[in-house]
Amino acid sequence: MSEKRKQEIHRIKELESINLATEDIREFVIETKKEVEKDNELLANQINNKLKNNGIKSIDIVGAIGAGKTAILEKIAEKISEKYRILVICGDITTRVDADRIEKHNVDTVQINTGRECALNAYHIHQVLKSKDLNDYDLIFVENVGNLICPSEFKLGTDKRITVVSITEGEWVIEKHPMLFKMSDIAVINKIDLLERLGTNLDKMVKDAKNFNPNIEVITISAKTGKNIDLLIEALEL
Amino acid sequence: MKKELKEIEKTISSLELNSQTQIQELLNIFLKTHLKRSKIDNFIGDYPTFIEPVHLEENVKIGDDVLLGPNVFIGKNSEIKNYVEISNSIIFDNAIIGENIKMDNCIIGKNSSLSCKNTPIDNCVVVGNVKTKEDLYKIMYKFK
Repeated sequence: MSEKRKQEIHRIKELESINLATEDIREFVIETKKEVEKDNELLANQINNKLKNNGIKSIDIVGAIGAGKTAILEKIAEKISEKYRILVICGDITTRVDADRIEKHNVDTVQINTGRECALNAYHIHQVLKSKDLNDYDLIFVENVGNLICPSEFKLGTDKRITVVSITEGEWVIEKHPMLFKMSDIAVINKIDLLERLGTNLDKMVKDAKNFNPNIEVITISAKTGKNIDLLIEALEL
Repeated sequence: MKKELKEIEKTISSLELNSQTQIQELLNIFLKTHLKRSKIDNFIGDYPTFIEPVHLEENVKIGDDVLLGPNVFIGKNSEIKNYVEISNSIIFDNAIIGENIKMDNCIIGKNSSLSCKNTPIDNCVVVGNVKTKEDLYKIMYKFK
């Protein structure tokens, strides 16, 4: 095994997995993980206070690749970009595809390419906000990297979190991802225009979300046809 | 863009005690007016994190776990080592930024080599070659 490869494995052990860590570094790995989580939480709280003090509403959107996060944001922007001055921060492993799509609807965008990281964290958002004049905005959306697992580890300091799934992901998708639904304010089930054709058990999906989080608001929509987008905007109090 | 970069290069090559305000202004204007969009399609390396806008000239080499942006310009043939974080800064051509250097609001001159490790720097100009943190702190020109 090459030296570079060995170093890489060691680095991943240190940073990412307690179970893989050898006994001599296990405690160090656990302490580091706790510190990172604590720092992220502190920074997320600071971000939320900063946005609130500037009168800015903030919402982050998580969901798997292809669930329709960008399409939903496009529809929302279409409807409210005259009422609010909007900044959308888009997270993706690479490319600027999403930011380019959303930008067409008269909103400012910042693209973050996370490279090998599977979710945005509070530090990314902090760095973006530091370079912006917050007097220019009333509303900030954060579209996370397409993923239903990693984003649950990192709060971003927004007022509300939306988790988006689509009926094409199967009726078990919510049941299989409890964490995100437990920490979200709104669950959006997208692509209901395909319901008849796919025969997905929509009632089960709604019930699963409510089981994990009785306070979660579940909205079934079609970003394609625009059905119930108004209900989502209402739920976001925009 | 080239004209402004030349002006900044000229200014940092003959720094005076009272150049602070001028440097910060030149840096701000350059970053605001010439870095609206990212240009990141030509680097050599392994998937760093970019917060736009980041502009990379040709043949920039980037290490592992690097975070670049927002507002970063890196000149051609420069090398950014592992775990580096850079924001609001200009790195001129053929520069080397050593491992785990964290940099904000800085200008690094052409052919400079910051071969030291684990060093945070901000609000400064660095022109020259250094191998230790102490030497780096000695030669830096703080403008804020």
